[in-house]
Amino acid sequence: MNSNSENNKKIASCEFQDNLNILRQIDFFSTLPLELNKILAYLCTRDTYKEEEYLFHENDDDGQAYYIISGKARLFYNQAGKQRMIRDYEAGAFFGRLALLGNMPRIFSMKAINELTCLTLTREKFTKALSQFPDQMPKIIKAVAESIQGWEKRFLLHGSENCEACMHNIGVSLV
Amino acid sequence: MEKTKPPVVKRSLISWVWTSSLKLQVILILIIMIEVFARVIPLEMQKRIINEAINLRKIDLLFMYCGIYLAAVIAAGMLKYLNNIIQTIIGQRALADIRKALYHYILTLPLNFFRKTQPGMVVSSLITELTTSGNFVGMAVSVPITNVLTLLAFAGYLIWLHPLLALVSLSIYPIVIFLVPILQKRSNKANKKRVDAGRNLSSKIAESITGIHEIQGNGAFDLENQKYDRLIDRLLKIRIVWTLYAQGVKTLNNFFTNLSPFLIFILGGYLAMKGQLELGALVAFLSAQEKLYTPWKELIQFYQVYQDASVRYKRTMEYYDTLPDHEIAPKDRKPYDLEANLEVRNLSFVTDSGINLLDDINFTLKPGEHLALVGFSGSGKSTLALCIGQLYKYTGGHIQIGGKEVSELSKKDLVQNMGFVSQSPFIFEGTIKDNLLYACSARNDENGSGQDAADSMPTLDDMIAVLHQTGIFVDVLRFGLNTILTPDQDKDLVSSLLRVRQNFQRDFGEGLTDYVEFFDENKYLYYSNLAENLTFGAPNRDEFAVTNLPQNEYFLRFLDHAQLTRPLMSLGVQLARQTVDILGNLPPEEVFFEKSPVTPDELDEYKLLVERLNKVKLHELPASDRAKLLELALRFIPATHKMVSLPEILESLILEGRALFKDKISVEDPNAFTFYQISQYIFSQTILNNIFFGKVKTVNPQAQEKINQSIIQLLIEEDFLETIVEIGMEFQVGTKGDRLSGGQRQKLAIARALLKAPNMLIMDEATSALDNNSQARIQNLLDSRWKGKSTLIAVVHRLDIIKNYDKVAVMKAGKIGEFGTYDELIAKKGMLYELEFGKQ
Repeated sequence: MNSNSENNKKIASCEFQDNLNILRQIDFFSTLPLELNKILAYLCTRDTYKEEEYLFHENDDDGQAYYIISGKARLFYNQAGKQRMIRDYEAGAFFGRLALLGNMPRIFSMKAINELTCLTLTREKFTKALSQFPDQMPKIIKAVAESIQGWEKRFLLHGSENCEACMHNIGVSLV
Repeated sequence: MEKTKPPVVKRSLISWVWTSSLKLQVILILIIMIEVFARVIPLEMQKRIINEAINLRKIDLLFMYCGIYLAAVIAAGMLKYLNNIIQTIIGQRALADIRKALYHYILTLPLNFFRKTQPGMVVSSLITELTTSGNFVGMAVSVPITNVLTLLAFAGYLIWLHPLLALVSLSIYPIVIFLVPILQKRSNKANKKRVDAGRNLSSKIAESITGIHEIQGNGAFDLENQKYDRLIDRLLKIRIVWTLYAQGVKTLNNFFTNLSPFLIFILGGYLAMKGQLELGALVAFLSAQEKLYTPWKELIQFYQVYQDASVRYKRTMEYYDTLPDHEIAPKDRKPYDLEANLEVRNLSFVTDSGINLLDDINFTLKPGEHLALVGFSGSGKSTLALCIGQLYKYTGGHIQIGGKEVSELSKKDLVQNMGFVSQSPFIFEGTIKDNLLYACSARNDENGSGQDAADSMPTLDDMIAVLHQTGIFVDVLRFGLNTILTPDQDKDLVSSLLRVRQNFQRDFGEGLTDYVEFFDENKYLYYSNLAENLTFGAPNRDEFAVTNLPQNEYFLRFLDHAQLTRPLMSLGVQLARQTVDILGNLPPEEVFFEKSPVTPDELDEYKLLVERLNKVKLHELPASDRAKLLELALRFIPATHKMVSLPEILESLILEGRALFKDKISVEDPNAFTFYQISQYIFSQTILNNIFFGKVKTVNPQAQEKINQSIIQLLIEEDFLETIVEIGMEFQVGTKGDRLSGGQRQKLAIARALLKAPNMLIMDEATSALDNNSQARIQNLLDSRWKGKSTLIAVVHRLDIIKNYDKVAVMKAGKIGEFGTYDELIAKKGMLYELEFGKQ
């Protein structure tokens, strides 16, 4: 018994276990069974980006989702040749869900604005793992739908009234 | 000669008997004559031994007749063996000939044919169904001749001995000859059914193996099992009926031939009692009669083999009896060099089921013009490209290249002038170079080998240029850099690489410390396995290779000595437990196992081991299990196998162990290892790791890019780039190119078409698997290097690349809706506008 608890302590500090803890806190994964989350935690990788390095560029189909472990990343939109800053993402942010589901060339660019460590999961790995648990797909679809719905609600709650042009194009949750 | 031969599917089974080995057949007949003669002699000797030697008590005659008897038996035996050898050779040769001819023929059949034909069915035709044909051809001359002659000889002998007795005992055979074919006919019917059922079965198997993803994804095991089981059950019934009929023939035959001795005893016995037959003659008669049995049985068997073989052969050939759409080679001229202008008039393509895939297509292209075919999927754009490329045979109208009608050109004419890149290009097993040269070699083979062909093969420079242009150069360079050289390879190469290493350390060492883990004697290497960390050198003998270390007595003693055995065991246990816990139920796919210390093949073994671990204590495990655990620990790479972390205390123990091991082995076995030293080439490591004197730490694409740039710059300075690329071109791509990514496969396919530098190029969504940059790169290449030189017809799915095409054709429902330059069509605000910007 003694040696067993010792083992657990050692394992607790390993990267796989940390990844698993992170995944289980993300809405997208939290409802999935532990067995699947273990596989995903094993499959995802940690990447570091230096300041000014890009996570992805506009039109890239990098095909992965990111969770920021530490550091800060900034989102840009290319408007008529000019880079326009949209917002910053900080530790604890998870983005790129849709890229896990299908080809999704990026509409935006994202770069690190200081030393950034991310947990990333590629579409290929996600799809392969999920194909072992076909009955979990509905949960994933539900999570995506909810996150789109949630996004639009938040958008309408905060500040959209200042932007008359935006009001004509709202309704992404109706796609 | 070649041309007057009918196609293989029209040939009869018998015809192979004469074409395969006529000379051998003649020799065989001669052997048979002597053999038959040698078989009859013992009979006569038998009679003489009894009547002359024994009765008259002449010992010298006994010896002489026995001697002749013995000689005849030996001669008959040896000749029989020789006969068998020649039969086998003839049969196997014929089988090889039939297999070759049929395969060669099948490859030329129209694409349409392969839509309805599963690969499994072709495999079973070529491998299984034809074997009996080979057996038959082998037997076809020798068996009937030997046995008929033997029968006649014995029958003649019998008649000579005693005509009445002979006729009575031979009277049985006509009955058998009458009955056997009746049974055989039924057997043949069952056999035909069996061939068809076997064919369905192999198609079914091929289908489920190809679609295994879908089956596992849907968990459709029961569904598929039912389908399969049904086919097996059907085959079972047919096989039982078939086998019973075949057995029936044998039984019937046995029964009647066994009646023969009965008749002889009754009649012969009576005659002997009456003194009308000598005893010796009766004995000779009986044994001659008995000897009739074997040739007769063989004849019946031969008859069965013939029936079986001809049913299978006919069934197989009938299936493939379709004509190729186009002639393979021109008969009496060299392949044309065509002017690359294209004219399409009133073209239509109607499928067998009457669906109009192409309807009244008209357009022309001047040599060197580039045409983009766009439209929704199902609009017929691929079909049009395939018709122009002669892969489909159009049913109406005209396609003319350089004024020649495409349907009347032979394949060779087309291959000479056209390159083709298909939607999902096929990469063959072999090296990158083999695949790169595939189109060129095929064209040149067609033109005959020899000096001409060698001259027109691309040079190394050509190949490197095309690798560059299509953007696969860096990948090939990587393959080259990831190659592990063997010590007997070029010495110069190794010494140059050491020079490259020095310059690398000088020029880039500092800048890449974030990306490379250098081999440092005083640091733990997180990107190397534990064994490398401990030995810190390349083994010079097999017994010290990582896989052999867990069995290496010397090494095990060292581990004990360094007090490492127990911590490594416990690390092994952790690795096994965690890996089995995470991967225990996953299929053996690369993506799941690339970060696992356990390979897919070993997973089950480790699963059982973990179960045993839960029952007994570590030290109670058998030695073989302990070796398995140690092996796992020695494989452990902290940066890859993240399911377990490397305990700090073990890290320092290993660093101490490293120093200890070096001291110990340099005294006790100085040549066992070459330690990692900046001045030594490491043969256990890749070229890249040797240049770095370390290992790359990251898979981050931007870091990779930086590393690539440094390496390329360095290799150019050292004039070493081509050498490495040449090594990279020897990379084995795996079956169907599965060791390459989808993008790499597509780039390689484009490269092999461009390397051929054809007048006319057809690309059927050839860049669909490429990322934007690579696609743009290929498009630039086509615009800048091939426009005006080669006529291009490109089926395009993504519209962002068509602006620079000379012409754009928008297809809809099998017709060309719009045709013109991009700007014209956009200005028109018609179909192209709608495709690009959506309905207004």
